Amino acid sequence: MEKDKVNETESTVNVEVFNFYREGIIMKLFLKIFIFSFALLSFSSANAVTIKWLHLNAENSPNMPGILKAVAEYEAKTGNKVELQYLENESFKAKLPTMLQSNDRPDVFYSWSGGVMYDQARAGFLRDITGVVSDDYLSTLSAAAANAFTFEGQRVGIPTHVAQVAWWYNKNLINQAGVDVSKIVYWVDLLEAVKQIKSAGITPICLGGKDKWPVHFIWTHLHIRNGGQDLFLESLNNGGWGRPEYVKSGEQMLELVALEPFQDGYLAATWPDQAGLFGDGKCAMALMGNWMYGSQAANSASGEGLADDNMGMFNMPATKGGLGDPGDTLGGINGWLFSSSAPDEAVELIMHYVSKEIQSEDAANGVYIPVVKGADTSIKNRFLKQVARNIANSKYHQIFYDQFLGADIGRVVNDVSTDLAAGIISPEEATAQVQESWEFNQ
Amino acid sequence: MKDSMRTYYMYLFLFLMAAAIFIPLYVSVMGGFKTVGELRTNALGLPSNWNFDNYLSVLLNSKFWLYLWNSVIYAIGTTFFVLLFASMTAFVFAHVKFAGNRFLYNYFLLGLLFPFATAILPLFLRVRDFGLLGTSWAVILPQIAFGLGFAIILFRGFFKQMPSELFDAAFVDGCTYAQFYFRFTLPLSTPILATVSVITLTGSWNNYLLPLIMINDESLYSWPMGIMVFRSEYFTDWSKVLAYVSLTLVPAIIFFLVLQKYIIAGLTGGTVKG
Amino acid sequence: MKYQKFDVILNRYYTLIIFLIPALTVFTLFVVLPIVEAAYYSFYRWNGYGDPEKFVGFKNYTYLFRNRVFIISLKNNFYIIALSLFVQLPFALLVALMISDKIKGATFFRTIFFLPYILAEIGAGLIWAYIYDGNYGLVATIWGFFGIDPIFMVGDKDLALIAILIVIFWKYFGIHMMIYIAGLQAISKEVLEAAKVDGAGPFTTAWRIKIPILLPTIRLSVFLAILGSLQLFDIIMPLTGGGPSNVTHSMVTYLYYFGVMRMKFGFGSAVGVVIFLICFSIAIAYQRTLMRND
Repeated sequence: MEKDKVNETESTVNVEVFNFYREGIIMKLFLKIFIFSFALLSFSSANAVTIKWLHLNAENSPNMPGILKAVAEYEAKTGNKVELQYLENESFKAKLPTMLQSNDRPDVFYSWSGGVMYDQARAGFLRDITGVVSDDYLSTLSAAAANAFTFEGQRVGIPTHVAQVAWWYNKNLINQAGVDVSKIVYWVDLLEAVKQIKSAGITPICLGGKDKWPVHFIWTHLHIRNGGQDLFLESLNNGGWGRPEYVKSGEQMLELVALEPFQDGYLAATWPDQAGLFGDGKCAMALMGNWMYGSQAANSASGEGLADDNMGMFNMPATKGGLGDPGDTLGGINGWLFSSSAPDEAVELIMHYVSKEIQSEDAANGVYIPVVKGADTSIKNRFLKQVARNIANSKYHQIFYDQFLGADIGRVVNDVSTDLAAGIISPEEATAQVQESWEFNQ
Repeated sequence: MKDSMRTYYMYLFLFLMAAAIFIPLYVSVMGGFKTVGELRTNALGLPSNWNFDNYLSVLLNSKFWLYLWNSVIYAIGTTFFVLLFASMTAFVFAHVKFAGNRFLYNYFLLGLLFPFATAILPLFLRVRDFGLLGTSWAVILPQIAFGLGFAIILFRGFFKQMPSELFDAAFVDGCTYAQFYFRFTLPLSTPILATVSVITLTGSWNNYLLPLIMINDESLYSWPMGIMVFRSEYFTDWSKVLAYVSLTLVPAIIFFLVLQKYIIAGLTGGTVKG
Repeated sequence: MKYQKFDVILNRYYTLIIFLIPALTVFTLFVVLPIVEAAYYSFYRWNGYGDPEKFVGFKNYTYLFRNRVFIISLKNNFYIIALSLFVQLPFALLVALMISDKIKGATFFRTIFFLPYILAEIGAGLIWAYIYDGNYGLVATIWGFFGIDPIFMVGDKDLALIAILIVIFWKYFGIHMMIYIAGLQAISKEVLEAAKVDGAGPFTTAWRIKIPILLPTIRLSVFLAILGSLQLFDIIMPLTGGGPSNVTHSMVTYLYYFGVMRMKFGFGSAVGVVIFLICFSIAIAYQRTLMRND
């Protein structure tokens, strides 16, 4: 009986062992299938890249549809994922240095090109994408715009849009004052017009003195007229900001200031105030970028602003004896930079975004002035059309001084411009401060 | 007669002050009901149209509650540790005689002498090197550190005011420092605990720069960072911003109302019993 | 020292260590070390990217002391301190004395007076910008009432600082009030009862009894007010940004504007170090004279 028991046990054990063995095989099979499919999945997802794209557009910004479309199309086409991240303007600028040094830095981020970009490139935070951008693609972009995003021969970014600063004016008020805008050819003509407008009891110019950058447009645009491109490059590389051409700009600006052309309390007015006042029809003119079109409506008391046919734009008049060409423009070239750890896919994403199809659509919707050749024919808004034409014809498009010269010199320019507008420094002191700041940054 | 006149003048004075103080806040709350254009033209008056959109769009936005919650976490986390660490430290400074007492106290005061703006970059690098970047601790730890100085001063001052007989009596009974701290000091310190809480909570609640630098992940944004949603490159929706800011006042006010009860509860019965 | 028993001494050191270590660690890591590093950066020219490379010695400091705007900001800081000590604190004390007792509506008043402190700086700056707006704000309405042309305080070189001082008072007097209230609450009831029995009226009680007992708290509050004034930053930026023409800068806004925003972190650190040294000297002087026994 014991023997039976032993036999029983043995056979039970045998069965169990056999079962176990069999289960083992099945388990192993499952395991193999599992590992294989996991490998398959991770293999395909190892190929899928996540791109972090940092932009400055709020949800309801007109820029968003184009961006979202580009993202959707790109994701569908390549199977890569795009993570959109949003920061507003001032927060973005405050965070830039630390953000680029953190581990989850964005792959793509917004830029106004110019000095800040050069600093970033010099410190090694940008990626050289020369190899990734094909010549074919390059030829689709406006040369000037593409060049703005190079540094010492390396391509570090892709442009998206351009902007121009010009004198916006309120047709009704201008007519009321009896001014003929087509007769404003030289700076002195502008001064005459201001006098005329003022004697008609209308505020000639709206200015956002508190934010300073609107003021620097006046002074620096005069630089462009008086000095031209060569002198600017000379000053940029070798100094000499105190040269007579630039002192002259200060004198001319003081001539304007002496006429008291600005609204009451202009030194306390912010840019939104300036836009709102213009949109409310409280002044005849404002020297501002083409985004004034949308902003004057958004900031106005009514929310509607001035009617399209009540607005006009004319370029900064020439100055007698100025070395610059009257067709030279002041404005921006904005676009996207790639951080040093950005994958090739990030560049491909942006090349997809900055393409004729999407740019034409955005241009048609009046979102911005495109950089892709041929996309500007889709522009419907007549102001943007005018600007596109101006920039295309311009031989010298100067990027805003406060961006181009970098964070330090740029802010000095803003400061001295505002001091000139407040009448508290002399033209010589203004240029001297810029020179000092330039030297400090060499 | 004289008494009620005095009271009358006192109330008059208080009311006038309260009105003056309150007007700006009223402007803020009302501003949320106006349009951006109206804000410029009619800052003080009642809104011509009570535009509820701004407040509603904020309240219905789930992100608002997320950011608010994050701010609550940061605020409470910071305050808890500040209360704990600072009171312990101040306790030692107030009651324990040891070499270096004065020196260490002054060491902590250093935190008050230094503007936070300068420390941004070094602090960022430090937090990054600890691998804490992008976590709540990146915000809470520096806030604790910078809040300690102020808190320690207040606690120490308060503790020193406590009558020493209490201390001696407890000691005779063989009470250790730690026991004394937990059984006597803390319970009797409600006013100062509440005061320090209010200060720390408010400081953390309104802190904009630190979370901006430390946090990249939108799901950890504090409420001041949420204001960004209403701003874009060329336009800021000020009426929405005002509505948003006014709403964020509410939790802060609640903190305050709850805590100020403790500040005022006072020491009824007194600590000196005969 | 009365209790020299061994375990008491042990207890003392044991307590010392446990009680001090947490604060000490956090504080050293996140405050002291960054300060030391900032001092190190102050000898460099550094735009914040990568590591500081351009050693410039004391150049940042010499530039700083020659800089007209910095001198202005120094002066402004002292005006702010004066405002704090001679206007804000006495007011806070007065109000605290009035409402620390259980008078009707005490909670209401306390909340109202404290609200400005709770309001975030961006909110405060924005609101006061409206109030000061010469076109549409409260100031305009008041002047309009008197038939005068609106004055744009914030844009006026001479008036802007006054505008800021008003806002500073508005925002921060509540916190001092609360500190005094907490201090007043700690005064034992027996003393107050005794005073009442002796026939002391409210003025006498306040002047002769409450304030003297409150003196350590007052000294403390003065100390904090001075240091706080020197660090003032948040409220100025949204209101004037340091303008117009740089007349309303405090030392810290100067630091932020000329240092951080211009990506001159070495220079900014130098300013920070200078502010630190000024605060440090004041702290030492204060401790040696007024707070010797505290």
